[in-house]
Amino acid sequence: MSTRNAGLLFGSAFGFLMSWAGLSDATVIRNMLLLREAHVFLFMGSAVLVAAVGLRLLRAARMRAVITGEPVAWSIDRIERRHIIGSLLFGAGWSLAGTCPGPVAAMVGQGRFGALFVAGGLLAGVSLQGALARRRTVVKMVQAIAMEAPGTTGL
Amino acid sequence: MAIDRCPWYLAGPLFGLLIVGLRAALNKPFGALGGYIDLATSRPAARPGFRVPMLLGIVLGGALYATTLGTFSPSLAYVGAGLPSIGRFGDLLLLTLAGAVMGFGARIAGGCTSGHGMSGMAIGSPASIAAAMTFFGTAALLARAMTLLGGGL
Repeated sequence: MSTRNAGLLFGSAFGFLMSWAGLSDATVIRNMLLLREAHVFLFMGSAVLVAAVGLRLLRAARMRAVITGEPVAWSIDRIERRHIIGSLLFGAGWSLAGTCPGPVAAMVGQGRFGALFVAGGLLAGVSLQGALARRRTVVKMVQAIAMEAPGTTGL
Repeated sequence: MAIDRCPWYLAGPLFGLLIVGLRAALNKPFGALGGYIDLATSRPAARPGFRVPMLLGIVLGGALYATTLGTFSPSLAYVGAGLPSIGRFGDLLLLTLAGAVMGFGARIAGGCTSGHGMSGMAIGSPASIAAAMTFFGTAALLARAMTLLGGGL
């Protein structure tokens, strides 16, 4: 199986499962955020638990990924400011729309096309962030070059 | 026909197995955000990997559910968001803005509910745990605040 087909397959299973479990209903997400029902918390908690055990078993067995042949391995990240700042914004958008990047794609598939507006916003948001980050990198590079060049003042 | 909602004790562990399965197949973390990033930033020919196909798969999975266990009746209506309704056009604009804030923030943070909240938590990444606590806290507080405005778009 190709990498692409694996993506398609895992995505389809995820989309079906989220839809069936009600996670693509904004009302369900809202009730979770208002702590009115535990369904979504229990879904996420049990998923994390099963994955935590399963992933460690794969690693302990020194498994190689079936399609890519890579050894199963991962690295963990330390907390940085961006994780907090980004998640503050993400949480706000999540709460306003009552959905997040996965479920909103499933909503589109279900024919609930209002979700296309959220998905369009998502694309615009990730593009804008990418463009700003690239610009910041370029400015930093220019500054670094200007500082190093003799006879020039910094920008 | 509409079949009852899949209980969490079935859906949760099954999704856990999907995270493990993707790791076993490709050695990649399971996250929906990447599909949007790849779709927004690369040309179709240069698009590597599984993330855009996975996003398309999620759409297909939703369609498969609607046409089998659920109901498929296409509509523009958007039920259950926390926003107070400000008219049909205004609502769609608000949803777009909510999506933009979500995408902008998630890319800064490097993940969304699936990437940080589930895959990252499963490997015990401190960054993911901090991210998940932050977005859950923010979203819960804002949802609470919006009940005061009479939300429910």
